Amino acid sequence: MATTTATITLASSDMMDNVISISNTATLTKAGNDTGLTETTGLSRKKTNTGNNEVLLNTDAGAGSDVTAQKSAKVYIKNINDRGDGSKYVTILLEDTEIGRLYGGDWMFIPWDATSSGKDIEYTCSDTTETTLEYVCFYE
Amino acid sequence: MATTTATITLNSADLLSDNLSLSATTTLYKDNTTATGLDEFRMERLEIPIDDYGGGTAKQYDIIPNSAAALAGGSNYVYIANKNTNDTHYIIISIKDDVIGRLYAGDWAFFPWSCHLNATAGSAVEVQAKEGTAIIEYALFHDGETLTESADA
Repeated sequence: MATTTATITLASSDMMDNVISISNTATLTKAGNDTGLTETTGLSRKKTNTGNNEVLLNTDAGAGSDVTAQKSAKVYIKNINDRGDGSKYVTILLEDTEIGRLYGGDWMFIPWDATSSGKDIEYTCSDTTETTLEYVCFYE
Repeated sequence: MATTTATITLNSADLLSDNLSLSATTTLYKDNTTATGLDEFRMERLEIPIDDYGGGTAKQYDIIPNSAAALAGGSNYVYIANKNTNDTHYIIISIKDDVIGRLYAGDWAFFPWSCHLNATAGSAVEVQAKEGTAIIEYALFHDGETLTESADA
């Protein structure tokens, strides 16, 4: 059994009167038990400059095709570009439903319904500037 | 201007034949800026009932309604943690009626959120408890909130 941990720290010393400090560590386990996830895509990198909607993680191919029931899967995505002038971003979608925008340097970490009844994770760049995403999927 | 940072660290000594150690930090800025940090925030701890408050049917609840925060052009980030400790308990996180995935006990998620008032494009962050009542904590870092006018004003 593998042990993989994901730790988040959200911190601000000046947004409020008091310091914001949220920290949480999750051990990535299989569905419904404490056995660690044992499969991963590894850290991957993808470049695009089309400005079109493209598939990052497909429910019917790669890691998605290995998952045959609604189990446990986690996805990390980072927009590797620098922030530039602040106007460029990558929109992350569940097929046609927008989750949100990753600006240069931003990252996200979400669970993923990787079965065929779930939805592909897709992305669209805000323009044709070459954009690089790094991503990992952990699954069972 | 406020400075808020979000840091993730992913570690495993035994998932692969070599150590996995990944870390990333980002600063939460407003849309279309390079140095202006988000300066609005709210956080809650909630109980998500498994049985519709005794009604017998598990329901999907809006924890961040699409009318409550910035429009699509804004910059918003959501953190959600499932604080349950029973391994079998999980919550389903959705955008509108599209399932993102399951957060099992102890899991957390952090993602950007585009608030579309047009429900066909995307909208509320929704949660459904499965297998047991869930205790969740969530935070929204946002770029402005549309307040609801008091009905008795």
